[in-house]
Amino acid sequence: MKSTKFIVADADKCIGCKICEVACHAAHDNLNYTVGAQYSAITPRLHVMQVNGKYVPVQCRQCEDAPCANACAIGAITEVDGKIIINEKTCIGCKACLVACPFGAIDLRPQIHNGEVVTQPRLKTLQDADENKSVLVAYKCDLCAENETQACVAACPENALRVYNALDDSKAKALQSALALHAI
Amino acid sequence: MSHNLIHIDKDICTGCRRCVDVCPVDAIHGQSGTPHEINLDTCVACGQCVQVCSSYLSEFESTPTIYAEKLAKRGMLSSVHEPLFAAYAQCHTHEVKDALANKNLFTFVQCAPSVRVAIGEEFGMPLGVLTPGKLAAALRRLGFDRVYDTNFGADITIMEEGSELLHRLTSGEGKLPMFTSCCPAWVKYIEQDYPDLLEHLSSCKSPMGMAAPVFKTIGAEIDNVDPAKIYSVAVMPCTCKHFEAARPEMNASGYQDTDVVITTRELAQLIKDAGIDFVNLPEEEFDQPFGEYSGAGAIFGVTGGVMEAALRTGYELLTKEQIPQLDLEFVRGDNGLRTADVALGDMTVKIAVVAGLDSAAKVLESVKAGTCEYDFVEIMTCPEGCMTGGGQPKLLLDGHRKLAFNQRRAALYSHDKDLPVRKSHENPSIKKLYGDYLGEPFGHHAHDLLHTTYTPRKVK
Repeated sequence: MKSTKFIVADADKCIGCKICEVACHAAHDNLNYTVGAQYSAITPRLHVMQVNGKYVPVQCRQCEDAPCANACAIGAITEVDGKIIINEKTCIGCKACLVACPFGAIDLRPQIHNGEVVTQPRLKTLQDADENKSVLVAYKCDLCAENETQACVAACPENALRVYNALDDSKAKALQSALALHAI
Repeated sequence: MSHNLIHIDKDICTGCRRCVDVCPVDAIHGQSGTPHEINLDTCVACGQCVQVCSSYLSEFESTPTIYAEKLAKRGMLSSVHEPLFAAYAQCHTHEVKDALANKNLFTFVQCAPSVRVAIGEEFGMPLGVLTPGKLAAALRRLGFDRVYDTNFGADITIMEEGSELLHRLTSGEGKLPMFTSCCPAWVKYIEQDYPDLLEHLSSCKSPMGMAAPVFKTIGAEIDNVDPAKIYSVAVMPCTCKHFEAARPEMNASGYQDTDVVITTRELAQLIKDAGIDFVNLPEEEFDQPFGEYSGAGAIFGVTGGVMEAALRTGYELLTKEQIPQLDLEFVRGDNGLRTADVALGDMTVKIAVVAGLDSAAKVLESVKAGTCEYDFVEIMTCPEGCMTGGGQPKLLLDGHRKLAFNQRRAALYSHDKDLPVRKSHENPSIKKLYGDYLGEPFGHHAHDLLHTTYTPRKVK
């Protein structure tokens, strides 16, 4: 049996520097190297949270029985190569996945295509009748589906993040237990 | 001596302490997990904390009003729309914009060597792209009356510093080792941490500090303008140059020699604010006579560059022979300390090149202990020299820093290689400056304009 992998952080190692968030933005939305050449806001797919004076990033668990996918009315969320992926092109911004996600790992942000914010074909707001509303879509950690390495894991100066394979880890722990029993 | 140049925004700082790790003078204080503060008395304004800081103002915690307030507090133009990080350098772009709009002022600008190998990065061009022509064109379109160059100032520095070194080596007057004095963060550091060793510092002003009084005296004469009406701007890769320019003694012209300093990043913001399409600008020349420079002037941007430039000229002034090899690979490198014994005719000169104040402290301690063998030491504060300065484009990711540094360094050396003149003393405009105005290098008139003194500033 296979299970999806996910990225998990070690709260004891995290220093709260947020470079994982910056790296996530760089890997997904950015073609340029420097801060002055950023043409869109930093909208990362993981978020460093502060709880009781400690920091730790929170991101998608790639749930086996993904509540977000089960809640999506238009089937925009599917499992692709062991990753739960939101199709940002077909997403209609209904937010059902945000409601369904028990971890708060999904957010809404403007859809970006070639560095430009995509706007609605007709939908306007009453306050700003001259401009079409921007398209808002759900987005979350995709384990850097386009790349071989995970940007946040690679960028962390404290090695606080890792790609976790729960089944393999569980088997390894079972083996350790068996060895311990033999030793008795 | 305090300044108001580098700050940490309490609203954004998470207390991760990555800046504490890079601060060379332990000026950043705070408890892990809570916002930190900078002691501006001990801070040497190198801006490396600004470069390393990764805690940014999240969209989720910000509104357009909060963002605009932060821009205003940082002295940034309201047209800027880049992410804001906790550690920042105070900007002076409004002053420059106002001066350019003031028709009563005659505006001069000079650009440091490192600006031309990094500013393109802020417009999405490749890391370390060499753009002197576009830089000159952009400055002209911003409205500067004279587009001059710090590289020319670097060539003057070599004439003065090279002559000063030969004087110290041959006359027995003045202390050895002689330390370079181009880097304002290093100068502030030795003034406050090793005030007893100030006589080892070269009396030379920096390239910016030499060019500025030349502009307001000889430049004013050439253009027939009242120096009181000249507004002189310097564009630097450095967050500490503003501190240097504001020193009260930097007034050899009878006025404050440099009116304002902005960084490479700030210049990019001004160019964007003016709607100038930097990437598609034509290649233009810097203005004459103070825009002509040698390859030796260009490599001031990289650690070892001042040493290499000084050796090219020092060798020829002393031996009256052509230096056999122009590319002095043994002084080139990155962080830390490099040493060599260099034969100048019959004399062997022991040299050292230092990048980083931790390595500088080791040299200073050896001088204190009387065990230092070097004759001449180049010292820069930033990791690999000015092209890695605190005012350079900030790399979004740590992983790209080394790549950017390597590309910027390669661009400076290739610029040097491609220039028709590669030794400061062979720059025709330098020959003319000394022939027509200054007289002898390290002479009386040169001393008045181009040399300075230092002040012990022990921090209590």
